[in-house]
Amino acid sequence: MSPPIPFLPSSLLLAPLVGSLMVALLGGGASPSWLKRGSLGVLTVQLLLMVGLLLQFDPTMGQIQFLEQAPWLGNLGLDYHLGVDGLSLPLLLINGILSLVAVAISPLTTPRPRSYFSLLLLISGAVNGAFLAQNLLLFFLFYELELIPLWLLIAVWGGQRRAYAATKFLIFTAVSGVLILVGFLGLALATGSLDFSINPVLSQQLGLGTQLLLMGALLVGFGIKIPLFPFHSWLPDAHTEASTPISVLLAGVLLKLGTYGLLRFCVSLFPQAWLLLAPGLAVWAAVSVLFGSLTAIAQTDMKRMVAYSSVGHMGYVLLAAAAANPISLLGALLQMLAHGLISGLMFLLVGVIYQTTGTRDLTVLRGLLNPQRGLPLTGGLMILAVMASAGIPGMAGFVAELMVFRGSLLSFPLATLLSMAGSGLTAVYFLLLVNRAFFGRLGTEAGGKPPVLLPLAGLAQQTPAVILAGGVVLMGLWPQGVVDLAVASTSALSAPAASITTMAGPNKTPAPLVPLETM
Amino acid sequence: MAANLSSDPLNPLLERLMHGLPLLTESSTHVFEVVGVLESYGEVLDAYSKNLIYQGEQQFLNPFPVFRFFHDGLSLGRLWRHLNHDRINFEYAEYCQKAMLWHGTGGLDAFLDSEHFASICKQVMHIKQRHDPLLGLLSSLFPQFLPELIRSAATTHALGQFWRVMSDLFLELARAHRQKQIDSIAAIVAFVKDGLVAAAGLPIRYGVQLHGTTVAILPEDAGLTFLMDVAVPYVEAVFLRGMPFLGTLSFNAQATQIPHDQALFSYGALFADPLPTMGAGIPPSLLMQDMYRHLPHDLEAWYQDHGRGVVDMHVKICMSFQKAMFCVTNGAINGTMPYGLDDPDSSHQRANRDHCMAWLGRLRQAQLNALDANGPEAISIPNQPPLSHGQPPTP
Repeated sequence: MSPPIPFLPSSLLLAPLVGSLMVALLGGGASPSWLKRGSLGVLTVQLLLMVGLLLQFDPTMGQIQFLEQAPWLGNLGLDYHLGVDGLSLPLLLINGILSLVAVAISPLTTPRPRSYFSLLLLISGAVNGAFLAQNLLLFFLFYELELIPLWLLIAVWGGQRRAYAATKFLIFTAVSGVLILVGFLGLALATGSLDFSINPVLSQQLGLGTQLLLMGALLVGFGIKIPLFPFHSWLPDAHTEASTPISVLLAGVLLKLGTYGLLRFCVSLFPQAWLLLAPGLAVWAAVSVLFGSLTAIAQTDMKRMVAYSSVGHMGYVLLAAAAANPISLLGALLQMLAHGLISGLMFLLVGVIYQTTGTRDLTVLRGLLNPQRGLPLTGGLMILAVMASAGIPGMAGFVAELMVFRGSLLSFPLATLLSMAGSGLTAVYFLLLVNRAFFGRLGTEAGGKPPVLLPLAGLAQQTPAVILAGGVVLMGLWPQGVVDLAVASTSALSAPAASITTMAGPNKTPAPLVPLETM
Repeated sequence: MAANLSSDPLNPLLERLMHGLPLLTESSTHVFEVVGVLESYGEVLDAYSKNLIYQGEQQFLNPFPVFRFFHDGLSLGRLWRHLNHDRINFEYAEYCQKAMLWHGTGGLDAFLDSEHFASICKQVMHIKQRHDPLLGLLSSLFPQFLPELIRSAATTHALGQFWRVMSDLFLELARAHRQKQIDSIAAIVAFVKDGLVAAAGLPIRYGVQLHGTTVAILPEDAGLTFLMDVAVPYVEAVFLRGMPFLGTLSFNAQATQIPHDQALFSYGALFADPLPTMGAGIPPSLLMQDMYRHLPHDLEAWYQDHGRGVVDMHVKICMSFQKAMFCVTNGAINGTMPYGLDDPDSSHQRANRDHCMAWLGRLRQAQLNALDANGPEAISIPNQPPLSHGQPPTP
């Protein structure tokens, strides 16, 4: 192995944040095209650094690697403490890829391009920070830092009802932030340790009541962000009003902060409380899956349908987290990655459709698969995305869902079966989408939407979708790549819960532990 | 009848016909499109015609007509181009022939069912049985097998003769346009009408060489002529009726999505959806591809500048083709008008009006929006598959 590149995690923070600052301060006279090129350059550097991190990463170690620690505001317990493990590295990579995609598909006609690209870079950096943070307050700082630019991107660059959607998003996410902060502060108070480091040893010594209280705050906080039923209502509105690049980021990356928080802080810090609540969480997951799926069936706006499908698919992550065994936690990570790629791809394609037809209304769109006057490539990729989302073998969704269900079936058979039904419903609503919008005779109307002659979707518009679709298939055909990267870390994550289950006696053992390292 | 037509959308079209105006809106773009597409159609029909005549004469009763599309002779180069699909889609010509045979209207069909034709078939059978034991056996087992093959060959040859005339007519039209003799849609319709009328009485004959003996399959004394015995049945079978079975769009016959009466079919070229959804009927996409290969340069350049450029070329060709076929139909309506439009006798004008309404009634569900549409960008949602239609024309 080549000698490690120094300060890799810090450079992952610096690249986008400095880039954002430079675009904001120095980009005054630059044309939108140069601003976009500059942002693409910054994010390419960021992605290359991530690849460097990937190459240097030792997947056999379950612990945090590339640790960087420096005292910052010691009195507050806020240390500059960064690191990477097998859970955060794949999510960092997804952030790197989707941030690049989001900037690549941003139109040059975007108003106020300087602020727009600067905010996009800021989000990318903040998300990196949240995934890298090894200090609770630092995580919270980045978690909140990502909120403001996203709120602005919806409120300023959004659709007609952007003010409503952005305010709703802000209120929900602010409450989420407050609950998480309360959880972290409460943890510090309860343990009497103000260093805010992620220390399961301390948190596990707390009484069960305290654990339940603190974890409850975190659970609801992250549940809003994920989002889980009934805290989901901000998401469809935010998606509907956000522009395509923002929807891609929101669905592909930002929701993952919630599930990441669930795994990193709830499962690992409060294993006893988690184990106690697990059956209820599994039921909650099943309800969320079924609610998301059934609501998606009723949607006529493509974006809302994909948004509700996100609510359903994020439910699988909660189900897997509830089971908290090595297979299910690996499944949770795979599901996060699969959903990141698939929903990112879907929002991208819906964006192309909206841009060319002027509508996302499933009661209007028809026959877009028409080879000469329709959007055949977009249609083909949408069918692929739909198949992946419905869990067709050979694509990312199948691997993830199989792993989740395999991990949770023995622990929570009923909740798993209900979630499987939700997976079947995915096929129902997405087939409705494909059947309505893509099959049949191309529906065009003089002076209406869609227009009589749809503009051609150019290569620049289509390339990001092709790349994401390639990722979906690659992950489906070669999941071992991600599994090898993450298995040590997800197994380590499940270790505290497993030890507690074992201590609780054989009758309470929810699932057999499979030595995943041998996979 | 006319009193009930005040709110009928066909009324303006009827008035245009009765005033001697063309159905297609007059515009320089339409002239450019129609002449250009008819020129390429003329080139394609030339190839179709040569091939059908070759098939009729040289592939007669060939049990395995594998190389029937090679009327220019078979070579490795030609075989490669054929397999590589660098060629004319002669299959389209065969679809049209099958449509004519299956719908079977007019004098040609009547002759093919006559005693006279049966005696010709017997003559063919008599000669063939001596040299072709397989055919002899099949003919004795299935007495209608050979006559049906001969009917098919006769239709093939007759269609070849029809297209010979039409090909020359369309290429002549393009020449006349280049020489500034044609500059309006009305002039195109008149040119087509005059061409049809001039060729109306051309005899349709077909003879084959069988082992040294010449047999007249369509003999001179059958009295078959170009216009009424081939052209009108062709328009009926290919432009109007068509077939609901050759596309991927499925029709449920049990749910009466297909009319019980074959005469009420409306799946022909004038009804085809220009968007390549592979709708029912004769696949126009084959013809569009053939015409694409022979487009005049100026029309091809114009198509490239409109719509989606090369991507939707076939759609644009089909839209222009339908405009052109409305002109040809217009010529046929005018050419078969019972009386002159300037005839002062009101009963004669009523007959003319009924004649026009019979045709227009058939066209009620056709792609009439092509008549006004300017530019290949415009294409609207077609009418739903019709369950019932007006009466067939009585030209």
